[in-house]
Amino acid sequence: MAEISFPLPDLGEGLIEATVLDWLVEAGQQVERNQPIVELETSKSALELPSPQAGKVVRIHGAPGDTINVGEPLIVFEVPDDTAGIVGTVPKDEAPKRRVRLSAVLDED
Amino acid sequence: MSETITDPRSADSNAGAAAVQQMSMQQALNRALDEILADNPKAVIFGEDCGRLGGVFRITDGLQAKHGEDRVFDTPLAESGILGMSVGLAMAGFHPIPEVQFDGFAYPAINQIVCQIARMNYRSRGTLPMPITLRVPSFGGIRAPEHHGESLEALFAHVPGLKVVSPSNPHDAYHLLKYAATRPDPVIFMEPKSRYWQKGPVDVTSAAAIPVTAAHDDGTAHGGSLTGARVAREGRHLTLVAWGAMVARCLQVAELAAEDGIDIEVLDLRWLKPIDADALARSVGKTRRAVVVHEAPLTSGLGAEVAQLITQSCFATLKAPVERVTGFDVPYPSGDLEDEYIPNIDRILFGIQRVLEYRRG
Repeated sequence: MAEISFPLPDLGEGLIEATVLDWLVEAGQQVERNQPIVELETSKSALELPSPQAGKVVRIHGAPGDTINVGEPLIVFEVPDDTAGIVGTVPKDEAPKRRVRLSAVLDED
Repeated sequence: MSETITDPRSADSNAGAAAVQQMSMQQALNRALDEILADNPKAVIFGEDCGRLGGVFRITDGLQAKHGEDRVFDTPLAESGILGMSVGLAMAGFHPIPEVQFDGFAYPAINQIVCQIARMNYRSRGTLPMPITLRVPSFGGIRAPEHHGESLEALFAHVPGLKVVSPSNPHDAYHLLKYAATRPDPVIFMEPKSRYWQKGPVDVTSAAAIPVTAAHDDGTAHGGSLTGARVAREGRHLTLVAWGAMVARCLQVAELAAEDGIDIEVLDLRWLKPIDADALARSVGKTRRAVVVHEAPLTSGLGAEVAQLITQSCFATLKAPVERVTGFDVPYPSGDLEDEYIPNIDRILFGIQRVLEYRRG
């Protein structure tokens, strides 16, 4: 298993910091990609930040009310070693599903 | 060998158990590169993050530590430089094995690939061959952002002087990469990144043992020959033609079609330039029906080339026009939408149904 630290991203408009309003996940929890993980407030707006990836939450940084600078650690995930690395996710090997059935009269000439 | 191996993942491991090892395509490619470096002192591997990190997909993992920084090294984030340097190294007698980190990043190096690598041998009347093996993690399926899921085989295949190959399973990946790295010509090696993690049997002692069916053994050293297509599953009623990650999907479709009484052959082209026209003629000559499946957009995709080759050899006996089930004529979508873009099981089944229903009017 490997740990991946996700820093507070640039939330746009040149803002350099954000205040934690409420964490929506906690350490030990498994999260999916795009699942909302934290409510943040900037001097422009309040927003929910989606998870950049799937994984188990190892640590969260900042209690409600704390201010975090862009680029500082926000959350740390634990992920299997065989994840795609910098981009993408490992596809699941799922059982094939179908809705279409074939029907044909085959002339065997 | 009497039985047909339908999918290397389900191959009977009792046959030659000692030589056959289970490994992922990642591991198979890594092992092939390790052996290429050991066998050929002129081989060098480089690209973005290829050295210390071992590649974003871990394909070059551990190779720098083992073979040294002169033979496996990182480059700046500039594909034109990676491929331009490959030209110079090849001229100086090396065998460069550059990596373009993702398909969509080959575009900045198109000038070096098309105008230099593909034609230097021709331009120099054979005095400056370009033995370059360009590895390109290719195709979609890993929920990645733009430029990380594209299918460039038709672009490359259109360029005289380039060869193009794409393995569909770990065994072929190991042997085709080792084979490509011995060629005197540039080979574009398209790795289906969505298949990197699936394990399968790899027989490092023989290219033939696992993927090539006995029915098409042409007596060469490689059974069905490493330079040609392979029959991934034998069938009587219709041939699905595919390459890369679509081979596994077509094998799934064939199993489902069997439930409906339709016996499907799956032809894994492997080489996209040159295409094994004889294998197409053999397969479709038998089944009389064909559907080509690829992730790339429809228009001017390689499916059109395959359809023409089939028509050329099988026109008189074809039961229906060759169908194509492909991506759409749009830029590759974001990861959230790629399941709608990449041919899925139902779209392939619909394509099969269209061919089965066709009647001459």
